[in-house]
Amino acid sequence: MARYGMALDYKNCINCKACEVACKEENGVTLGADKHRIWVGVKEIEGEYPFLSISSSTFMPSQCQHCDDAPCQMVCPTNATYFDENRVVRVNTDQCILCSYCMVACPYDARFVDDRTMTVDKCNFCSDTRLAQGKTTTACQNTCPTKVRTFGDLDDPESEISELLRTRDHFSLKAHLGTNPKLFYLT
Amino acid sequence: MQVEISRRKFLQGTVAMSVVGGTAVSATNLFASDGHDSSDGGTNSAIPDSITTKTGEAKEVRNIPTLCEMCVNKCAAIARVEDGIVTKLDPNPMFPKSKNMLCPRGNAGIQALYDPDRLKYPLIRTGEKGEGKFKRVSWDEAFAYITEKTIKILDEEKDNRSSFLFCAGEGMAEHTFKTFYQGFGSGNWLNHASICLQTVASGYGVTIGAYPQSDLENAEYIIMAGANRAEAIVSPDTMDLFKRTKGRGAKLICVDPRFTNTAAKADKWLAINPGTDLAFVLALTYVVLTEELYNKEYVEAHFKGFDEYKNHVLTSGYSPSWAEPITNIKAKDIVKIAREFMAHAPKSIYYPGRRSTFAKNDFQLRRAMAIFQGLGGGIDCKGGLIFGSKVKIKGHSGLEPLYARAESRAIVKKKDAKKGEAGYDDCAVVSGGGSWLGWRNRFLENKMPYKVRGMFCYKHNPMMNMPNTAKTAEMLKRIELLVCIDTMPSDTVMYADVVLPECTYLERTDPVKTFGGVEPSIAQRNKVVDPLFETQPINTILRGLMGQLSKPLFEITKKYDEDVQEELAELEKAEVDENNETTGTGQTAEEKEVEVYAEFDLTKLFEHDQEHTNEHAVHDYPGAAEALKEHGVFYPKMSEYYKQISANVHQYYPEKLKSYSVFGGATKTASKKVECNLASMAKKGVDPMPTWRDDYNFSVPDGKFRLMTGRHAQFTQSGTANNSVLRDLMPENFIWINKRVAKEKGIAFGDTLEVTSSVGKVTIKAYPTEKIAPNQVFFIHGFGEESSALTWAYKNGGNDNAVIEDVLEPVYGAAAMHETNVEIRKV
Ligand code: SF4
Ligand code: SF4
Ligand code: SF4
Repeated sequence: MARYGMALDYKNCINCKACEVACKEENGVTLGADKHRIWVGVKEIEGEYPFLSISSSTFMPSQCQHCDDAPCQMVCPTNATYFDENRVVRVNTDQCILCSYCMVACPYDARFVDDRTMTVDKCNFCSDTRLAQGKTTTACQNTCPTKVRTFGDLDDPESEISELLRTRDHFSLKAHLGTNPKLFYLT
Repeated sequence: MQVEISRRKFLQGTVAMSVVGGTAVSATNLFASDGHDSSDGGTNSAIPDSITTKTGEAKEVRNIPTLCEMCVNKCAAIARVEDGIVTKLDPNPMFPKSKNMLCPRGNAGIQALYDPDRLKYPLIRTGEKGEGKFKRVSWDEAFAYITEKTIKILDEEKDNRSSFLFCAGEGMAEHTFKTFYQGFGSGNWLNHASICLQTVASGYGVTIGAYPQSDLENAEYIIMAGANRAEAIVSPDTMDLFKRTKGRGAKLICVDPRFTNTAAKADKWLAINPGTDLAFVLALTYVVLTEELYNKEYVEAHFKGFDEYKNHVLTSGYSPSWAEPITNIKAKDIVKIAREFMAHAPKSIYYPGRRSTFAKNDFQLRRAMAIFQGLGGGIDCKGGLIFGSKVKIKGHSGLEPLYARAESRAIVKKKDAKKGEAGYDDCAVVSGGGSWLGWRNRFLENKMPYKVRGMFCYKHNPMMNMPNTAKTAEMLKRIELLVCIDTMPSDTVMYADVVLPECTYLERTDPVKTFGGVEPSIAQRNKVVDPLFETQPINTILRGLMGQLSKPLFEITKKYDEDVQEELAELEKAEVDENNETTGTGQTAEEKEVEVYAEFDLTKLFEHDQEHTNEHAVHDYPGAAEALKEHGVFYPKMSEYYKQISANVHQYYPEKLKSYSVFGGATKTASKKVECNLASMAKKGVDPMPTWRDDYNFSVPDGKFRLMTGRHAQFTQSGTANNSVLRDLMPENFIWINKRVAKEKGIAFGDTLEVTSSVGKVTIKAYPTEKIAPNQVFFIHGFGEESSALTWAYKNGGNDNAVIEDVLEPVYGAAAMHETNVEIRKV
């Protein structure tokens, strides 16, 4: 029993996409550039050559925010989307009827369709792969060259992530929507 | 701050926009037309039935430490093998060089192993050269064919071993193949150096005695010019640097004509004119010398030729205002950067980089950079450039027979070269790896001093990797016997007469390697799974080939080599005892032949298994061989020093035992000093001190564009072009063209452009962007393969080398890749 979350030192991100490949390999995610549980947001740079705005050019590593108040879970008619014992937002593929309500409800665009199973797929913090195998961290955290992520139990005051969130400034994405994301971006 | 970007926005904002759907992959067979489908490999159960496999579904799990070979870095990985199938590659946290990371390519190594297009069996050509038609043969048939053709050529060339060219790509087993070259006795060895880092390695080599590493973990100020560590990943540099930029301990100045991902992570980006970095460094040097900002103590102790250099820079007038119009960098920026660099020195680094030669002046640029670094005193010290230390391992003695009839390297000497001029047509200095472009071009021009008729090519792809593809194709067509040893049916393999399929890195143990640095260690690539199909590791391939080839080769030597003939004629007489009676019999001719053949017996080179050789190499360290098998990594006291500090940090050595400074600031040159003035170079027609020449100036004729090439984080040159998972990240390459110019020309994103130079044409899709100057275009190297045996890579995007002109850098004859102007046209 834990409440898993992730802190992202997003300024470290170089948009290499190692996390994306590691996730696909670990979790057997289907092939296709638009099929991914995790991605890096890139904004078109502002300015005209050579007067470009470096600060306009950020890389935002992103994935399911594991909202503590998750719109996707609220709208799911079959309870296919559920919170597991570690407050990880999961999808039970046996129950998913691909109504796609959750995809519409998710403000973070974190869900996509796995064409093989015709169900919705998304990040689950490697719960049924790495965590089930007794590992303590996710594939994306582990592989990252610049070590963007710290994964851990938000309810454990001794955890590294709790310590990070106590000591470093951070923000959440679309905080105003009240979804209470468990992904935290460190500044 | 809030930046919110969704999946769809992400897809629209990047060049990955032309999304290829989740293409289900059939086990497309390479040579299916020859009646061999992949299902008869006999190892089918060892092949997964989907591209990506969810971990943790199997009964039997093994974790095997290995080293990645998706690029040259050799990061440490742990392969998870489930019921015989590799399902995941995880980073190995115990290796100080790669510090618990695998980049996207490293993660996608599984698809290199299970690529349905892999070379599976030995093949012999049946169609025209380049056509890609082969028949499957047995290993013995392939070896017999090679032996017959090789012996025929050598017989006709009267045992001139140099009538065969040997070439190899970079890799841990390159040495194994080189052993074959040495035993064979050719003088013609070409490797990747002259199309890669020859000028940077040699520039630093002659100036400070070695190509150094950079302590980016501790540097406070870094100038990264013409190096792109966010996209051209180097471990540990990439990992160390980007945790600390953006006001977090290290100030990064990125100097690049393009706005790269490194620029995006920098504190300042300077859009320099291509090929003018030398003027930039000279101007920085000028500021430091005139304002006397340099480390006087260091210069006094560790510089040679400082006064001459100072005088040269000052009297030549390399001032910031001189450099401004040449480089397109403001004089005031140059002054500011010079001051800041010296204020942080010695914890400041002018990053050496390690890339292909872009401009003709690259060797001089590297010299100027190394000297500039020295002026701050940041050599052999924490936060500066470092030489580090090494855990020594034992080498093994090779066999280098002497062949009297073997000519030396085929190179064209300049007729009546005067004193102070380059002695060769293609270069001033002949390096060990040779000048690939020069060699190829002289071969085509029939200027070689003797005939070269055969070629052994190991994991090297000259069709893709060097400028002017049309010429390379012509050269390969003219080679009578081309033997390619490779894992993939590359464009070069299409020209082969015989193809020998090597297994991938996950299927073999490679020579153990020592990695020097601040935190030295030894690491080993262990075999993860048995080779699929009929593939074999290079050591086994060469063992088999030598079994057939070695003896007939010796017969040819016997036929033509007078030294050997004489040696064979000298039979040892029977011994005579004190009573003048002969004891025993004298040496027979057969016995003599056995004795002489021992010096020429190439089978000996490959008789040991790699595992055995590796154990011998680390024999001096108790427990090392076992540690290398179990952990993939070893260094003395590893079990004591190595620990995980936090989720993202590991300790390899205690801070006070790190090898930041090993020579007390001295360099590794013979004089132990920074060499400013190289008289020996002047004799060969090379500027003894870095000097700006007018023909280095950047200019582009109206209506044309300077073509630039480069790397990115998702593919390694052409080597990974067919990797299905990497193609999810970047489906093809696009040509960058300035947005305003594109608008003027009516070019929109995704439009197909024809790019033309004096040597060829490619078509490629457009990516209008402000990240590039109006008179320049750029696209990533490694795409646009012509081998139809590559399902995903075939004609996917554009091949830069089809249009890059073959311009030689004058010192080593390296390929200068950014000297080509092109025209573009919407088609
Ligand atoms: S692996 Fe790390 S650096 Fe690379 S894209 Fe993912 S978060 Fe960014
Ligand atoms: S990010 Fe989207 S998918 Fe993830 S928990 Fe929140 S609403 Fe659900
Ligand atoms: S940088 Fe990437 S591809 Fe290269 S060796 Fe390391 S993990 Fe492999």
